[in-house]
Amino acid sequence: MAVARSMRRASPISLVLAALLAFGFIVFMLSPSTPSVSASASAVSSQQRQEDAAEHPLSPPTKPFLKSPAVRSNGVQAAPPVVHYNLNNQTSSSNAIANRERILILTPLARFYQGYWDNLVKLSYPHELVSLGFIAPKTKDGNAAVAALEKAIHTTQSGPIDNRFASISILRQDFEPPLQSQDEKVRHKMSAQKERRESMSRARNSLVFTTMGPSTSWVLWLDGDIVETPASLIQDLTKHNQPVIVPNCYQRYYDSHSKKWDIRPYDYNSWIDSEQAQNLAAEMGPDEILLEGYAEMPTYRTLMAYLPDFKALDPHRMVALDGVGGTALMVKADVHRDGAMFPAFPFFHLVETEGFAKMAKRLGYSVFGLPDYFVYHYNE
Amino acid sequence: MNRHYASPKGYSAYPRGPKNFSISPNRLVIILSSFQPRSQPALRRRRQLFQRLLLLGGVSLLLVIFIFPSWRAAIIPTLSLGLVHPSGDLQLQTVRYYDLSEVQGTEKGWERGERVLMLTPLRDASSHLPMFFSHLRNLTYPHNLIDLAFLVSDSRDDTLGMLSRMLQEVQNDPDPKMNFGEISVIEKDFGQKVQQDVESRHGFEAQASRRKLMAQARNWLLSATLRPTHSWVYWRDADVETAPFTIIEDLMRHNKDVTVPNVWRPLPDWLGGEQPYDLNSWQESETALALAETLDEDAVIVEGYAEYATWRPHLAYLRDPFGDPDMEMELDGIGGVSILAKARVFRAGVHFPAFSFEKHAETEGFGKMAKRMKFSVIGLPHYTIWHLYEPSVDDLRHMEEMELERQAREQEERERELQEQKENSEPKAHNAAKGSDKGSEEGPAAHPAKDSAKGSSNV
Repeated sequence: MAVARSMRRASPISLVLAALLAFGFIVFMLSPSTPSVSASASAVSSQQRQEDAAEHPLSPPTKPFLKSPAVRSNGVQAAPPVVHYNLNNQTSSSNAIANRERILILTPLARFYQGYWDNLVKLSYPHELVSLGFIAPKTKDGNAAVAALEKAIHTTQSGPIDNRFASISILRQDFEPPLQSQDEKVRHKMSAQKERRESMSRARNSLVFTTMGPSTSWVLWLDGDIVETPASLIQDLTKHNQPVIVPNCYQRYYDSHSKKWDIRPYDYNSWIDSEQAQNLAAEMGPDEILLEGYAEMPTYRTLMAYLPDFKALDPHRMVALDGVGGTALMVKADVHRDGAMFPAFPFFHLVETEGFAKMAKRLGYSVFGLPDYFVYHYNE
Repeated sequence: MNRHYASPKGYSAYPRGPKNFSISPNRLVIILSSFQPRSQPALRRRRQLFQRLLLLGGVSLLLVIFIFPSWRAAIIPTLSLGLVHPSGDLQLQTVRYYDLSEVQGTEKGWERGERVLMLTPLRDASSHLPMFFSHLRNLTYPHNLIDLAFLVSDSRDDTLGMLSRMLQEVQNDPDPKMNFGEISVIEKDFGQKVQQDVESRHGFEAQASRRKLMAQARNWLLSATLRPTHSWVYWRDADVETAPFTIIEDLMRHNKDVTVPNVWRPLPDWLGGEQPYDLNSWQESETALALAETLDEDAVIVEGYAEYATWRPHLAYLRDPFGDPDMEMELDGIGGVSILAKARVFRAGVHFPAFSFEKHAETEGFGKMAKRMKFSVIGLPHYTIWHLYEPSVDDLRHMEEMELERQAREQEERERELQEQKENSEPKAHNAAKGSDKGSEEGPAAHPAKDSAKGSSNV
């Protein structure tokens, strides 16, 4: 009875408050999952993100841009602004985070592995300084990979602000890959290697030269099948302050003899040159290339894959290299800006990443490897 | 308050068994109907008004929130006491998707809306900028499809400030047809010690290292500004004096991977009136290939010097002023004054080698590398653009001498006329005498030795 009376005579203020509360609930229910991170930290990062954004969609792909472009006083959309970039003050140093150096992670995508993406999201380098670039062939496999990638991107880019990457570009290749099969056995056959790696070079070059922006300090090449790296990968590689540096790429496998999981070398393209290899090259025709890891072509190069000393691992140990692999590879943007690219033709009898190392050296840069620092390749 | 009203109606203030807990609907109705409003009509009306106002305010607030998305971010957190986080609020587009097979470059790019990246490296170029911008404004290729990028390096004059002002002016032009697309101005000093004046620029020793630094500058400019949206890349130097407004379309029409026009420069009449300027566009010759074999891996062959006699056919020397401007010639090395290339050439990795690539660097190395990657490289021998003539120190001295000579002769002339006037007392043919005098002064074959010397040193 008492309750009934109060309902009838409810004050309008409480009604309005109730309406607002209801509205608040609706918004709450409709809005995507709330971020778990602390509000203050992401407020700082969103502030920076807003400041870093480009005004106009015509802008470097390493920058996000405002969804609503500027409009002139007469209502016409304003012309793109004149944007200045001072590259004299831009650093790529051992103290990358403190200098707020921007990283571009580039991945030629053949297949999408969730493990790769999860590992990427876990990287501890501030994500507002990280841009991603992908290139995928226009094949059935490529379409599937891009579809899966876009799904993963959507989840991350609408999730917690601190986990979002600064910008992401997805490119589709303008040439056919020479080989449809991505099967490991076929892929590694020597006859198919040259063609495959030349096509890979073109993909890599297309990716780096169109997505690298004026503010990029470092380029990290990370293959789509690298599923495990230390979370501090970027910090660890930039710390050495070398123009080109490559970690050791291994693979986890189940050893059926010892009945336990073990690791084995995967990428053999990081090496120190040998006299035998140079002699082999000297006898070659101009269009022939040297390849690593084939019994038909003994090069006697020192392979970084066999350099780790498992009894006394020192992840900071550096060795000077002559050839590098591209599964994980950190390059100062200046090296690419000077013109170092992945030759899609025999360059001193080398192609792709090995040719890249050669070209970087021709441009006066040194190339290093970290034999005791591991990243892991997917096991097919 | 309710209890207070309830008790006079005969109910006990104390619970009396289960009755108190079950309120039957009948009784409720009785209570409602039996209880008449006590408030005075005025009070009630006021309250209703208050209620309506609040309702109206609430509704309009909701509307405002829905109409202005940007307000949402500001209001919702306040209302929901921080429970709702502004997650979709950044208003940033972070994901871009590009299909490179749609930006291959075709012969009618302007009809298909193909974007062109126009690149210009600048150094101490403030004197050329007004001319350059007049060319820009006159370009007939749709301006909104042209993205401009400049690299300002090692400049001691006000190139940067002037460039910024002029670009701002172009982008603020009320005619939307004058506005260009993305505009990037990149500052980067390479610590160039090599002097840029004409004398030292063309000295043989300075050439190789100068060309490598130029190559570096070009690569920096390209790699920072090439986008996945570009179908074409047009390299254009700031010191081009005359070029057709339709040059982008003219070169594009050939639909080749790399296309260069012929580059000449006008000269004062006493130097022959005109002269080939860009000698870096050439076809490979057997002699040059044999020469390259003998050279060290890091050597760079520079064209146009007696030190390297290559006997290559040069695009510049094949010019016929009345020839077909559409005629094409296969090239191996190219000059950089004006290059139109498909963006896919650069995407494939072809660049301006800042190292010795097949014994060449910069634009010549670019031509070589494009050929190595099986791209087509052509020149148009009879389609000519004109480079600015900057008199060398020798030329300036010579011009000064000529000026003195001319003044002396005029003086002499005047004196003679005065003499004649005195003698004949009939002033005549003043103008005619001056005219014929000028004619003799500008004899084209007056300085043959000088002419040939110039011809071999312009690169």
